[in-house]
Amino acid sequence: MKEIMFSLNSVWLVLGAVLVILMQGGFILLEAGSTRMKNAGHIAGKTVFTFGMASIVFWAVGYGFIFGNSGNFFVGLSDFFYSGKQAEGMNYSTSAYFLFQLAFAGISLTIAFGGFAERAKLTAYVVFSILFSAIVYPIIAHWIWGGGWLAEHGKQDFAGSTVVHLTGAAASLAATILLKPRIGKFNKNGTVNNIYGHNQVFTALGVLVLWVGWFGFNAGSTFVVDDGFFGFVALNTNLAAGAGAIAALIISWMVLGKSDITTILNGALAGLVAITASCAFVETWAAVVIGFVAGILVFYSVKLFDKLKIDDPIFALSVHGAAGIWGTLSNGLFATKELAAVGKPGLFYGGGFHQLGVQAMGVAVCGLFAFVVSFAILYVMKKVMNGLRVTEEEEIIGLDVSEHGSYGYPEAFMKEEQRKEEQKEEQSRLAN
Amino acid sequence: MSMVINSYDSLKNWRDSEIDKHLTDSAELNHFHDTVMKNVYEIALERMKVQCGEPPCLFSWFLMGSAGRFEQAIISDQDHGLIYEQSDEKSNEYFQKLGKEITSGLYAVGYPYCDGHVMSSNPVWCKSKREWEAQMTKWLKEESFESIRFLLIFYDARVLVGEEKYVSELKQKIHDYIETKPYFMERLLENTIHVKKAVGVFQQFLTETHGAHTGSIDLKHSGFLPFVNCIRLFALKEKAASSTTLSRIDELSNLPAYTAELDVYRADFEKLLSYRLKQHQKSTEDYDDVHYLDIKELDKAEKKELKNLFKNGKKLQEYTKSIIKGKMQ
Repeated sequence: MKEIMFSLNSVWLVLGAVLVILMQGGFILLEAGSTRMKNAGHIAGKTVFTFGMASIVFWAVGYGFIFGNSGNFFVGLSDFFYSGKQAEGMNYSTSAYFLFQLAFAGISLTIAFGGFAERAKLTAYVVFSILFSAIVYPIIAHWIWGGGWLAEHGKQDFAGSTVVHLTGAAASLAATILLKPRIGKFNKNGTVNNIYGHNQVFTALGVLVLWVGWFGFNAGSTFVVDDGFFGFVALNTNLAAGAGAIAALIISWMVLGKSDITTILNGALAGLVAITASCAFVETWAAVVIGFVAGILVFYSVKLFDKLKIDDPIFALSVHGAAGIWGTLSNGLFATKELAAVGKPGLFYGGGFHQLGVQAMGVAVCGLFAFVVSFAILYVMKKVMNGLRVTEEEEIIGLDVSEHGSYGYPEAFMKEEQRKEEQKEEQSRLAN
Repeated sequence: MSMVINSYDSLKNWRDSEIDKHLTDSAELNHFHDTVMKNVYEIALERMKVQCGEPPCLFSWFLMGSAGRFEQAIISDQDHGLIYEQSDEKSNEYFQKLGKEITSGLYAVGYPYCDGHVMSSNPVWCKSKREWEAQMTKWLKEESFESIRFLLIFYDARVLVGEEKYVSELKQKIHDYIETKPYFMERLLENTIHVKKAVGVFQQFLTETHGAHTGSIDLKHSGFLPFVNCIRLFALKEKAASSTTLSRIDELSNLPAYTAELDVYRADFEKLLSYRLKQHQKSTEDYDDVHYLDIKELDKAEKKELKNLFKNGKKLQEYTKSIIKGKMQ
């Protein structure tokens, strides 16, 4: 029986890892769809590359910093260059567990790169993917999941509203502040321009892929299939996503007079991000409320960042940051006595303000740490690398050509190029 | 005009220096626009005379769009056309050339080109009487979205120079067609009923959320259009001869069925015109600016009044629907 469970749990973990890695596909579609054609190939392709980078760095040092044995409150210190060795006493394959954790680190990095979109140099991606995966993410993950000081403190973050999403969003905020807004985003008189993404169908499909992948993210975070509890986690996850989409539709219709597609898509994602921390600790009705509030929150968060003149091309700050904060705090309100495997029940379940306080401190410390360290890293990079951003000319012609030399949509751009080629040939012929 | 103006440049200078004196009310401003455009026409004709001689036949030059309706803002794009008596090659050539001359003249004096190319330089809007009649028949029979658009645009035609009857005869064709095919009114209704919402469920203004006009209301699409379109539909239904929104209202008010209803809407429309006029005193840098009203600059009473105007626009639309669909039953 024990062997069967070992196998089943391992299958579940690898399946979870596969689903979470598939979320990278969701991000590829989401990010490419939300940005312009001239950057599409770059945005899509860099995600594959940075996930590869995250994988190697996680194997080399990330995993060890998070889960290493001889660790302390701040960081773990063993299992570097992980060999695939089975840990004693674990009722699932450690390699499967490793892969699952690696997939999470990859997601956090991709979220962080949301703040780079449409203007960062490729080299900035390369360097930051190493430093974020080696330093920023592992330290926070260790604090909460690796037995660090916040775990001891009783912070509830089941699948990573804080660890994965808020950390990624905080890095994204640091990046977008240092990179400054895209050309043409803000007018001199202070008004904001809409820089439309080139394909809303991609964006919607990306959201759906993420939604499905999220079952691996949240339900997979049970690690084990023993009592079928993962089914309940999956149910809560789905309810929150649905409520988020509906809330976003309603709020945009009420405020703008039209139900805005971008807001609806952000709402579903915000619901997912928010429920990530609490999916195993709250009842189904609370999952609906958490998702619904996230859907409204994300709408106002987008407005706020516009007002602050912070350019957030794919809404990473609102979807992963604002909703991540709300999701983590929501534990402090809705966690039940029966379900709270870590920490205490929330405010509405007789736990008073204790857990809410724990959650709030966790959010503040993690958010701040991720932001400050990411900012410091990027600041130094900016100095050393002579800027993080492509030149104005490169930004205007698009990163597909400036960074990679080929277009994501050759047909859409090549004609003109070819004409220029022909012109050049003609001129050289005349000159001869 | 007391002085002699014989070039577009000097006309433009005169227009720019004089226009501020004519912002007291909308009718005054539109008389001024008429004067300027007539002058453009005269300069254009003089130039034609030098190049190609006298016009080979009678003709009429007419305005459409907001100019046709006598409700231009301080800056309005051009909408105009030509009808000429004879359909021979000489006339065709002459008036196509004149159309182009007038169009570039208007542009030089400060009237931007029409995005939809509703200008005398476009052969669609510059035809002999016989060709116009054929085109009108085609538009009526076609009943496509575009042809109905064209019909509605033409219906606001107001003759500025030349023979009145060329235009009125063509309008008569539209009236006759509606007489035989009453359902056609519904097609016209469908073409113009979409309006940009300006007031939300919380009675809040739905202002622009992005771009240079963030925080402003689109006065043209949310405010003017429901009034202009509905009154035009009534005019079509009742075969009114006027081409301006206010004179259409006056004419329709003589019919007992409309008297009470239109009284309110006349007052509303005049208020809309005065809001836009107020806008003129400030930003009039480009064509788009005149249509946007920054709600931050309105006081409480004005905001209330404006919301009321938008709501009445909506009511007028409902009223129009009931009148036009009622006819079908």
